[in-house]
Amino acid sequence: MSKTYQAIVIGAGPAGSSAALTMARAGLDVALVERGTFPGEKNMFGGLLHRMTALEKVFPNFWDRAPLERHIVKKGVTFMTAGSSFNTTIESGGFDRTPYNGYTVFRPRFDRWLAEEAASAGATLITRAMVDGVLLKDGRVTGVSILGRSGQLNAPVVVAADGVLSFTALKAGLRRPSFDPAQMAVGVKALIDMPRELIDERFGLVRDQGFANEFVGCTEGVRGGGCFYTNYDSLSLGLVFHLASLRTSGKTPYDLLNAFMEQPQVAKMIRGGKLLEYSAHLIPEGGYDMIPELVGDGIVVAGDAAAFCNATGLNLEGINLASQSGVLAGEAVVVAHQNKDFSRRSLSVYKQLLEESYVIKDLKLFRKAPHMLHNNRIYQEYPELMCSFMEGIYRIDGAPKESLTKLFLKSAREKVGLGNMLTDGFSAWRSL
Amino acid sequence: MNIDEIFDITSFTIDREAHIVLDYAICTGCDNRGCVNSCPARCYTWSEEEQKMTFVHDGCLECGTCYVVCHRNAFTRWRYPRGGFGVAYRMT
Repeated sequence: MSKTYQAIVIGAGPAGSSAALTMARAGLDVALVERGTFPGEKNMFGGLLHRMTALEKVFPNFWDRAPLERHIVKKGVTFMTAGSSFNTTIESGGFDRTPYNGYTVFRPRFDRWLAEEAASAGATLITRAMVDGVLLKDGRVTGVSILGRSGQLNAPVVVAADGVLSFTALKAGLRRPSFDPAQMAVGVKALIDMPRELIDERFGLVRDQGFANEFVGCTEGVRGGGCFYTNYDSLSLGLVFHLASLRTSGKTPYDLLNAFMEQPQVAKMIRGGKLLEYSAHLIPEGGYDMIPELVGDGIVVAGDAAAFCNATGLNLEGINLASQSGVLAGEAVVVAHQNKDFSRRSLSVYKQLLEESYVIKDLKLFRKAPHMLHNNRIYQEYPELMCSFMEGIYRIDGAPKESLTKLFLKSAREKVGLGNMLTDGFSAWRSL
Repeated sequence: MNIDEIFDITSFTIDREAHIVLDYAICTGCDNRGCVNSCPARCYTWSEEEQKMTFVHDGCLECGTCYVVCHRNAFTRWRYPRGGFGVAYRMT
């Protein structure tokens, strides 16, 4: 049996549901197609939902309405070696007031909520439906087919929000047939059970306050990093690896995650906790240069499918860009319906909206960051330098003290080399 | 965490029909086999003795790593599981 809609959205993640919500609110008859038994079932991320300005426009009381865990008031970075760690933390009263700067969430709950909001606004949510074909007529996308089901879904326009590998964009000829492992990362995560009171005590939190921490130097020299987030009564501990680097290292994600959990300082953070769930997913980390064709005849691409992910080394943003791009895709489709024109040219208003928004502006600004982050020294030598310098400052051993400059240069020469340091400093300054 | 006990930690609705199918002849001739160490769920195992690749789709987390690291395109099929099947995250 075939059905016809005014628009089809593939994938009920943050991008797809934001798009469907926008279109349904504008009165369009939209199908939101999801392969999971419910939206969010297939989705994982590190654990930090950045401030969702696009959704705050739709739900002014977003933080009261969405199923969130803790809001982040404390953010830290840790430079780590096998036996030592150097932390910097910022805790701000500004992060403790609405609109909050970020939250921890569980994707199976959050994504489900957002898709249900789209359904309440009038979108038709179709779950357990894996899109396996894009219907083309004279080069225009006219609908999709679903694996194992007869019939098809027809629409003059499709929003491809089917995630990082976007087979929809591939079949519509909008992305290249293969990915470069240098532009991809894989994240693995352990969710660890811990009573709420213990988390509050251990990490200095009250009410719904949360703590987020990033780690460098915890990946045994594989390019990547670690993250740690507090949920209400569980902890998320994860690692991210650049695929090209992981592949050649011969190391496995789970062995590295186990070693990370056993590092003495990390072990104390999660002590007493019980493993609840293990998950993994790819992250498109190629930045601006990885973005596929965003618009075709009868199709637009949003979220991870469009590689909208900003990895600068300090922030790792994706979900906020996904939601923003979804809203803009929805708005572009609404305009196309008003003009009754679904050609590539007409839908290009989506590109224009993206370029005016922070999505493309930020990706352009940090265009060189992915290249800078391909420097292996960041992941082992620099964390070692930081830790050895700080340890040197505080060490009392009966020997006469050295000046800080001398101490620093000694560590720098030993761990990184001064020439390398100059080059790396210049590269970081240019990229950030 | 023991990756061999993944079914005790993460939930799956296993489909009898594999969503990823390999042409093992290509794997045998591969000089890299980055899939073996990169797969976060240890779905790929290489036997040096038998010169043979084994792939089990049951505990696949559908992350996409193998699709990207395989530079020989050894897949005769690579798609996500049928609707309603595969990994089922409860919280994550």
